[in-house]
Amino acid sequence: MQEINISEHNFEQCQKCGICNDVCPMLAANPAYPGPKQAGPDGERYRLKDKEFYDYALKYCLNCKRCEVACPSGVKVPDIIQSAREKYNTHKSVKLRDMMLASTDLMGTMVRPVAPIANTVLGWGITKSVLDGVMAIDHRRTFPKYSGEGFEKWFKKKAAASQASFKHQISYFHGCYVNYNYPQLGKDFVTVMNALGYGVNLLDGEKCCGVAMVSAGMFDKARKNAENNIKVISEAKGDKVLTTSTSCTLMMRDEYKEVLGMDNSSVRDSIVLALKFIYELVDQKKVKLVFKKDYKARAAYHVPCHMEKLGWSIFTRELLGMIPGLELILLDSNCCGISGTFGFKKENYEISQKIGKPLFDQIEAVNPDFVACECETCKWQIEMSTKSKVKNPISILAEALDLEATAEANK
Amino acid sequence: MKFDVIIIGGGHAGSRVACGLQDSGLKCAVITSGRSIHGSTLAQFEKKGGMVLADDEITNTCIQDSKLVSVKTEKLGDVVLEAANFVIATGKFFSKGLVSDMKKVWEPIFGLDVEYSEDRTTWYTDNFADHQPFLDFGVKVDETSKPSIEGKTVNNLYAVGELLAGVSCAEKDDLAAVDATADKVIDIIKAQ
Repeated sequence: MQEINISEHNFEQCQKCGICNDVCPMLAANPAYPGPKQAGPDGERYRLKDKEFYDYALKYCLNCKRCEVACPSGVKVPDIIQSAREKYNTHKSVKLRDMMLASTDLMGTMVRPVAPIANTVLGWGITKSVLDGVMAIDHRRTFPKYSGEGFEKWFKKKAAASQASFKHQISYFHGCYVNYNYPQLGKDFVTVMNALGYGVNLLDGEKCCGVAMVSAGMFDKARKNAENNIKVISEAKGDKVLTTSTSCTLMMRDEYKEVLGMDNSSVRDSIVLALKFIYELVDQKKVKLVFKKDYKARAAYHVPCHMEKLGWSIFTRELLGMIPGLELILLDSNCCGISGTFGFKKENYEISQKIGKPLFDQIEAVNPDFVACECETCKWQIEMSTKSKVKNPISILAEALDLEATAEANK
Repeated sequence: MKFDVIIIGGGHAGSRVACGLQDSGLKCAVITSGRSIHGSTLAQFEKKGGMVLADDEITNTCIQDSKLVSVKTEKLGDVVLEAANFVIATGKFFSKGLVSDMKKVWEPIFGLDVEYSEDRTTWYTDNFADHQPFLDFGVKVDETSKPSIEGKTVNNLYAVGELLAGVSCAEKDDLAAVDATADKVIDIIKAQ
């Protein structure tokens, strides 16, 4: 459709039906936000005439993509909004706080050497009060823990040497979260892939995908990272670069082109969420999964907004559905409200929790053993706001698989 | 990925067929361009184990020996979606189930045979509020709701809802005719 349009993001296809407003979690929680229809295609018509029509309330857009998924005409509403934030916003300076929250790899590199101290200090009430007062990072927010040993370091020490012995090879984009906050997910990924007969290779210097930078308005920095990532992905070992983060995946596949205007066509199709890749292997009978006989769990599945946009939750549901002892309850389609760094900001805390409330209430009512969810920031939000722990489906697979029997079956 | 039934189009008719068949124990998937107009119906369908491919579109179809074997979609890429039966419920012009230029009207996914007048001046009437003949255009089906491609019936594909010639609820705000086409196909597939 794009080829017959003059403007970007399928802007001309908007039929003014307003269904985007109906699904917007922000519009329902925050009267200051004009809603995706006004912020997106309607507002864009005015902005094309005169940039003075730019509305600073566009900063409230969570970029959750729900409006885009709902749009029957294929209008890329959030891309119109994010691009407008770069094109028309005349206040380009980025607050120190926003810069810190968005620079996930820089912060990770700085904090990791002192992780045990940092984790303790960040948990203190006094630290939270200071951060609240000085940095406007809300004191009610629980900080994600930093890991002392990063995933890359662990991989080089413990896993790298044995990877070449596997029949097949793939590459892995671990992202900042796995490297700095939660290496266990990366370890689970390596365990699962190895059991399937796949050796894992890291990229030659991946950088943060840039999703948080776009949300903080740091478009040029995001472009630099994108340029680096496109290059290292194009040089990757194996024909696929697997991921475990939905937001990184969406950013690198779609937003590099749509929001940052980069040419990612040479690498786009090779960037795939590991869950999709594994499902396809099973579906094509290229690998076998052997599950533990005594595994038993009752999980609730929360589909992250960016997974809804990728349209791949079907693979998670099918894969987890193969685990004999797992009861999987599909939660209603709702945003958790954190939206990466949005919910950390003091001025957004109340809105963030209000958006997530229907989800939290449902999780409490279902009372599962754990919540299954592919997104790291949803995990922070749900674990902070409910009693439930959140597990990435890859970690659930790692737990449920009889690893030895699976490895034997895929020799 | 294998299903019993794949429904293309998640509007009123498509959602109705999907829920009806999923309730009778068949494994169904709905491929739809948006998701929210009938979002609550589709959400119920998902809860019952149905799969919804929202905001997606068909990129490839495979027909062999007058049978639709599989389809592929933009978001799922190379993943082949197979089913014993397929139902198309993509609606008329607004939802792009039918597309037209100045001379002809066609169904864009399969190129199904469409009933319409070749004389463009008869497509519409000057008074906007009067009945507009183009709303009667649509896909031709046989007595078992099967459409055809260049006169050849596709044996496991059914068409329902406003996509059909002569079925339109836009002017009358009456969904009974649409429901009837959906219920008929539910019964046909359930009886198999």
